[in-house]
Amino acid sequence: MAVVLIVALTHAARAASFAAKDLQVLGRAIAFMQPPPPPDAVVAIAFMAGNADSKRDAEAIAALIGSGLAAGHATLRPRVVDIAGLSAGGFSVVIAAAGANGAQLSAAAKAAKALCVTTEADAVRDGVCAMAITSEPRVEIIVNHAAAAAAGIDFAAAFRMMIREM
Amino acid sequence: MAAILISATTRSRRLAAAVSLMACAAAAKAQSVDYQGLEQLFGEPVTTSVTGKPQRVADAPANIEIITQDDIRRSGATNIPDVLAFVTGVDVRTYGPGAADVGIRGYNQSANSRLMVLINGRQVYMVDYGRILWASLPVEMDEIRQIEVIKGPNSALYGFNAVGGVINIITYDPTKEKINAASARGGTQDYASGSVVGTAAIGDTAGIRLSAGGFQANNFAPGPLDTVDSRTRERPFTGNFNADGRWHVTPSVDAFMEGSYGTTRLSQPSPEGALFTEQTHQWSLRAGVSADTGLGVFTLSAYQNTTYLRGDAVTQTPPFLFLEHEQQEVAVIEANDLVKIGTDHTLRFALEWRDDSDATDFVHGRLADIDYAAALMWDWQITPEITATNAARIDHAEIRYSGVPTAASGLTVAAFDAVRITEPSLNSGVVWKATGMDTFRLSLARGVRLPTLVEQGIQSDFGTTGPVAVYGKPNLLPAITWNAEIDYDRQIPSIASVLRTALFLQRTDNVIATPFGGPITFGPTGYPITTAANVGYSTAAGMELAIRGHAASGWRWNLSYALAATTDHTSLNTGPAIVSTELYTRSVPEHVVIVGAGFSRDQWEADLMARWQSSFVDTRSILGTPPLRFVVVNNYVTVNARIAYRLTNQVTLALVARQLNSASLVTTAGVPTERRLIASLTARF
Repeated sequence: MAVVLIVALTHAARAASFAAKDLQVLGRAIAFMQPPPPPDAVVAIAFMAGNADSKRDAEAIAALIGSGLAAGHATLRPRVVDIAGLSAGGFSVVIAAAGANGAQLSAAAKAAKALCVTTEADAVRDGVCAMAITSEPRVEIIVNHAAAAAAGIDFAAAFRMMIREM
Repeated sequence: MAAILISATTRSRRLAAAVSLMACAAAAKAQSVDYQGLEQLFGEPVTTSVTGKPQRVADAPANIEIITQDDIRRSGATNIPDVLAFVTGVDVRTYGPGAADVGIRGYNQSANSRLMVLINGRQVYMVDYGRILWASLPVEMDEIRQIEVIKGPNSALYGFNAVGGVINIITYDPTKEKINAASARGGTQDYASGSVVGTAAIGDTAGIRLSAGGFQANNFAPGPLDTVDSRTRERPFTGNFNADGRWHVTPSVDAFMEGSYGTTRLSQPSPEGALFTEQTHQWSLRAGVSADTGLGVFTLSAYQNTTYLRGDAVTQTPPFLFLEHEQQEVAVIEANDLVKIGTDHTLRFALEWRDDSDATDFVHGRLADIDYAAALMWDWQITPEITATNAARIDHAEIRYSGVPTAASGLTVAAFDAVRITEPSLNSGVVWKATGMDTFRLSLARGVRLPTLVEQGIQSDFGTTGPVAVYGKPNLLPAITWNAEIDYDRQIPSIASVLRTALFLQRTDNVIATPFGGPITFGPTGYPITTAANVGYSTAAGMELAIRGHAASGWRWNLSYALAATTDHTSLNTGPAIVSTELYTRSVPEHVVIVGAGFSRDQWEADLMARWQSSFVDTRSILGTPPLRFVVVNNYVTVNARIAYRLTNQVTLALVARQLNSASLVTTAGVPTERRLIASLTARF
């Protein structure tokens, strides 16, 4: 049983749109939000309702985080939810699972005053999501200034000077 | 004396006004650079030393190397020059335990004035020659977060002296990094040293780090030195205390205050090639505030460095012992605003006021250099892959002299008061991240080295310090250094390594010969006079190739080659006999190879480093005529080794061998360098 679980988790990890290192970068990056989220940061992982692949990706990301992923001074706590469920609030960061990026997610993140994070740079370029993270071959962070501002998100000045804004 | 007191009072009022202004700084929403957080986020060290804005090394528009605390620990070095000796493109002249001169890309001589060194942004040079008294720096090795080495001029950010390069020593932030350590060391040359570093939180928003340390040792054996030189070879020691406090006044405003005291006694060569021993007492106090005002991160700081110096020297022919006393002071007020405009542009505006002064018998009064500077840096991210940075600074310097020049010098108060120097500095760079693996860097710089106070004002009449008169020249021109450079960096993940390459061309106009090394004329009764002078130009060309990596298995390695070829075009030393110490051609080794390997596993840590350098020519003062002679320092290899064992999670025992391969090596024209064996016990908790 244990072997099956490990295989399943490994498969999930491989399939996830976020790698473990991306999540470490996320945990450290949110420390530069002004004001920063609480150390025990609930991270919503949003999937597109009715999209099985999207839900599977969200669950894979949640599996990588586990019950809590320590990164810097923050510990990420996952909550898998469909986009409509974001209206319940209670989180300051929302991860866009595969297939979730779009106007619906963008509106939900803004309404929740949450930082939308994705690994798809195009989604940030289009203003759908506020932050894109890449951790290989080197860490790159892209922030859509307008999208972040629309969600009421601001970052420390030093952080802004080290990332790519658009 | 009255003038000295009045001047000091005025300076204190200005500093007090600056500190008061800091207390009134407006609150807003961000704070100063979080080195730890940014380093952990991006997985590599972060620097602000190149442009003033926080950057990763690969993104900086200049050639910079960052030596981390891990590098420092593994080097086994007990002082900063010993760490720098294994940095590609850096030359270190070692004179004894704790005594050294450091140069970057050639032009390293005793009392080197082409290097700017800072501790957390506070400049720590001696105002007499613009040199660095390394052992007097009030910082313990255990409290250094990183040492940042910028190669090439960076005057547009730091002003004068930063023509060869910049070394910025960054310590841990006491509000975020709780560094507590104690070290005890003992070794050959009767070496004994100790240091303690302690950090305490003050409430939830403030922290203070206190450190103290020092060493004493025997000098290296004088070997074949002249008897007169040996007379000044007193036992070296140093003792330093430092306090560093930082306070998050609000979530958006930081305040900081640093203070230090130290005393040092060292023997090392003077610029005229003779050995001398000097003892110093030095104090520093710095305070500042940093806040985001909505118009950028605004920083205001002020500091004062004070050094009392007593020197004993033996110079020239016949042997002549003299004493000198100096009170050197540096007072600085600086303000800058760093702002990101839109998504692609970062600007930094800066203003600086500086008062460097030296009250000494050598200038028969007090000589001060007042500098006003304004600077602008513009960083433009043109595309995601290409960034251009332009920085310009203009310095306006004036001399204030209070005293009575000696009649024989021919100098007058009016000649000093007439000095006005206004010079621009420039740093431009383009960084092109061609791929995720490849980065190209193209840079052009114009650096300015202002004449030092000794070069402008020394008045040593015939018979005062020997059978020669030595005079400064107030109206010296500043030396201008142009540097053009192209760099290429490549990540090589297959072997977990980074390749870094650099090609540079450099030209320095208006080369300044120190008063001891300038042209010789003759006085009314035929005695020789040497005078500071602008003596021509000098060119340099070179390259650096370095690869460095580490593996998950615990292995690490590095290999580098540096070339720095210098050619003088000056009016000095053109005859058959050497008459001047100003000898840049071949004054540093042209070729240097550094290789290192290390391994960490479980409780063990072992490192082996070797440095080979080609021969070079040095000069030294001798008994005879002419009073200088060439000394050819043959090529040599020096091998260092360190092995450490962690006794507990907190306590580490280490053995270090410096110059393991040879009991004694001639590394300069001065005292041969001896093998050093050092055992250390360090507790970190």
